[in-house]
Amino acid sequence: MGRVISQVTAIASMNIRSIPQRLWMSLSTVVAIALVVAVLLAFLAMGNGFRQAQSSAGAEDIAIMLRDGAQTEINSAVTREQADLIEEAPGIARENGRPLVSAELYVIVDGTSRANGLRANLPLRGLALGGVALRHDVRIAEGRLFQTGTNEIVVGRSVTREFAGFDLGKTMRLGQSVWTVVGVFEDGGTVRESELWGDVGVVQSVFKRANFFQTIRARLQSPRSLPALKAYVDADPRLKFAVQSETEYFSEQAKQSSNLIQKLGWPLAIIMAIGALAGALNTMYSSVASRGTEIATLRAIGFGRIPTFAGTLAEALTLAVIGGGVGIIAATLLFQGYSASTLSANFTQVVFTFKVTPALCVSALVLALIVGLIGGIFPAFRAARQPIVGMLGDQ
Amino acid sequence: MSDPFSFQLRQVSKRFVKGKETITIFDGLDLDIPAGDFVAIMGPSGSGKTTLLNLLGGIDHVTSGEILFDDRRVDTLTENQLSAWRAANVGFIFQFYNLMPVLTAAQNVELPLLLTNLGRKERRTNVATALELVGLSDRAAHYPREMSGGQQQRVAIARAIVSDPQVLLCDEPTGDLDRSTADEVLGILKLLNQEHGKTVVVVTHDPEVTRHTRRTLHLNKGVFEEKTALA
Amino acid sequence: MNQALLVAKNLSRRKLRTSLMLVAIFIAFFLYGALECFNRAFHSSENSGAAERLVTVNRINFTMPLPVNYAGRVRQVEGVTSVSYQSWFGGYYQDQRQPLFMFAVDPVSYLEVYSGIQLPAEQRRAWLTNRSAVAVGKTTAAKYGWKVGDRVPIASNIYLRKDGAKAWEFDIAAIFSDPDDTAREGLIMMSHDYFDETVTFGRDQVNMLVFSTVSPKRNDEIAKAVDALFANSEAETSTDTAAAFNRAFVAQLGNIALIITLVVATAFAAILMIVGNTMVMAVRERTREIGVLKTLGFRGSTILSQILAESLLLALLGAVLGLGAATLAVAAAGKFIQGFGSNMNMTAGVFLGGVGWALLLGLVTGAVPAWSGMRLQIATALGRR
Repeated sequence: MGRVISQVTAIASMNIRSIPQRLWMSLSTVVAIALVVAVLLAFLAMGNGFRQAQSSAGAEDIAIMLRDGAQTEINSAVTREQADLIEEAPGIARENGRPLVSAELYVIVDGTSRANGLRANLPLRGLALGGVALRHDVRIAEGRLFQTGTNEIVVGRSVTREFAGFDLGKTMRLGQSVWTVVGVFEDGGTVRESELWGDVGVVQSVFKRANFFQTIRARLQSPRSLPALKAYVDADPRLKFAVQSETEYFSEQAKQSSNLIQKLGWPLAIIMAIGALAGALNTMYSSVASRGTEIATLRAIGFGRIPTFAGTLAEALTLAVIGGGVGIIAATLLFQGYSASTLSANFTQVVFTFKVTPALCVSALVLALIVGLIGGIFPAFRAARQPIVGMLGDQ
Repeated sequence: MSDPFSFQLRQVSKRFVKGKETITIFDGLDLDIPAGDFVAIMGPSGSGKTTLLNLLGGIDHVTSGEILFDDRRVDTLTENQLSAWRAANVGFIFQFYNLMPVLTAAQNVELPLLLTNLGRKERRTNVATALELVGLSDRAAHYPREMSGGQQQRVAIARAIVSDPQVLLCDEPTGDLDRSTADEVLGILKLLNQEHGKTVVVVTHDPEVTRHTRRTLHLNKGVFEEKTALA
Repeated sequence: MNQALLVAKNLSRRKLRTSLMLVAIFIAFFLYGALECFNRAFHSSENSGAAERLVTVNRINFTMPLPVNYAGRVRQVEGVTSVSYQSWFGGYYQDQRQPLFMFAVDPVSYLEVYSGIQLPAEQRRAWLTNRSAVAVGKTTAAKYGWKVGDRVPIASNIYLRKDGAKAWEFDIAAIFSDPDDTAREGLIMMSHDYFDETVTFGRDQVNMLVFSTVSPKRNDEIAKAVDALFANSEAETSTDTAAAFNRAFVAQLGNIALIITLVVATAFAAILMIVGNTMVMAVRERTREIGVLKTLGFRGSTILSQILAESLLLALLGAVLGLGAATLAVAAAGKFIQGFGSNMNMTAGVFLGGVGWALLLGLVTGAVPAWSGMRLQIATALGRR
């Protein structure tokens, strides 16, 4: 056994060291595999970034209530009366005796994309200062919060990055009114950073939605209080609500709006991998052909078939690993943190950044290794089965 | 009154630059090969006999001097003119036959005819004639790998003569063949020389070849030796 | 025999290698064909007569409503020929997560403005007379297997019925096609009157006015006149060509064209490497044979064209197979995709574009070996120096 291993090592290292002799063929395989890996990673990083922007926005201990069947905030509708009823519900946390409940209005306004200068849908959320406090992780990074009763807004960091005209101190017309940006908030790059926030009363009056809301959020005493709230809502015929934790809501959103393009990553990569596989097979067959005499000589000396087989396979896997590594590095350098936006299920822009993670790199590398394995195994069989006689070639 | 000449070499010099060294193969070589000659050129490795054949066939160029074919300069022709000249006047025969492995015997023989204006029918007739001349009519549809060395060399001869060139240049044509097959091949060359009036130049190591030729030239270090005489 | 045979023989001498190259080329052109068709379909709403129509939406955002009476006022604007309107219904059939592209419209004026819509006369009559009927585009009808005369329950995730029922029961009165704008064939249209009658809120409001004008040349001027009409009113408007509106909407989904270009370029870069190198290797193996051909009197330029013919043949063969497969795949995928891109099919433009790329690929991959084949010295080729 030990002898076989040392033979394998000897042949494998010889093959690998001879790669530069077939530089261009080997390089073409490395590049092809690298390109496949880079494309796959780009799509995976895009999908991952998009999903994370939404799913990491939610909190377990915040309940969100939408009109039954609405699915998204923009489709939902809540009346003042309903909002008042929720304030009496069990399981809701209180501060100084006041329930931590936020009834919010969600309207879509136009922004201008920095990338293409075209109009894009941005969500303007009307909420009370208590509603801002409800969201633990949000912090004001620049300026200050809006004041109740004024035409002031705070905007998410992502909005200022992707859309023109929302920098601190800027004014703009939204609806029938002129608004001033008094602050920029951050929330770890989540979908919340794609929103504009203003005082709910002012938004209601500017957009003529007096006493009208879209959603209610409530801070729960603990995540375990959710069933109590649900039971309360179900029991009251006036409250035709779907009650979810924010975590549930956002992960459902992420699922719904991961669109066609983001699902394209694996199928595309697999199709391209077949092309790269053709290249790898070609390279490895020509490697075996060019080492014909060498292989025959080694076999004549007494090396076995298994080391010959393994040596060729090792060469293919080496090319695959190099290609995979190059692809991963290239994709990381090019796409990590790349900012993009797309339309969410809420019909508004979600800004997200591409996220290359170690787990994604591993799956990309696995694809590269599969290409290397299949691309090496058939030529390796040929190498192992090649006759000795007639290949010791004088010609 | 003199016979017409196939080739006349006048003060031909040939030098190669290899790295920093300049290697002189010929320095002022003269040679006349009359039309209808059958000449063997013998000499040890490195004597310059292959280079000489290359120069005659226009696949290598002189450093200085002149080569005349039919009283016309060929050393001044461009690559394209040389291609056309070779297609019309010269047939090559190599030691390792150099047939196209992907083509049948007949297709190999037909190759040079693609460079002519002959129609499909005439080409087929010429190929058949050439194959018959070398005694391989029954092997027309065979691929090189399905034939013996002697048969392959006979196909190569058929390919060399199919366009009816005046000259056949042969490089070790028997080098890869056993004695009796070699004799067969030489017999065909002799036939072509005597019956069809071809000028045949054979470069060889094989002394047996000289039994068939009209004369033998001995080349050593780029110079013909004294033994040279009409057979 | 002729030179074409020689080229073919050269390609087939190593069948495995040639097949592998064909696979690589096939894949690249399959991707090109499929993605480019998707891209064209995705952006098709930006063309096809859309430049002639104008759309008016709420200036705040197109999801905000406009009063339905705006339609009558726009009709009075000089140069406007016919005006229609539509509201997004938020409909779904059975699966709440699969939204239907469904609008409430005014049928008579809608068919006037979208004059490209084709439907049989009796179906047209049936749709116009039956308020609870819908007209369904043929791709959507095919997807759900709906036929004229079927009655289908459609619910909305925005609107509620006054009578408390969950879904609307719609009669399918018409199935239409629109050859000028196949994207439209994915839509469903209900009557706005019926919508107003049955919903709990949102009555007499529309999302969008659509209208045609006397001449596209006057569109700018007419758009300004329409917006001026509603300036400083409760619902200010923004009017633009349908093409510009669609372009902005499609751009909101992301820069699809860029993504597709990058993927296709990547695939082409990979095969360029693979095929280019393999061609170099294949020709290098034949060095001796090229030398022999030259001694037979073949010119350098003939050798050059033979090798180029070989690489071109290879590229074209792979490309045509790949584009052919893409044609089939695109036709099949159109049935599964919802909404944007569902109207994709192989167009002559995409196919011929692919053939053009194949020619370029063939020339580029053949260039190096063809050039070295042409320049090859016979003496070197035959190893006689």
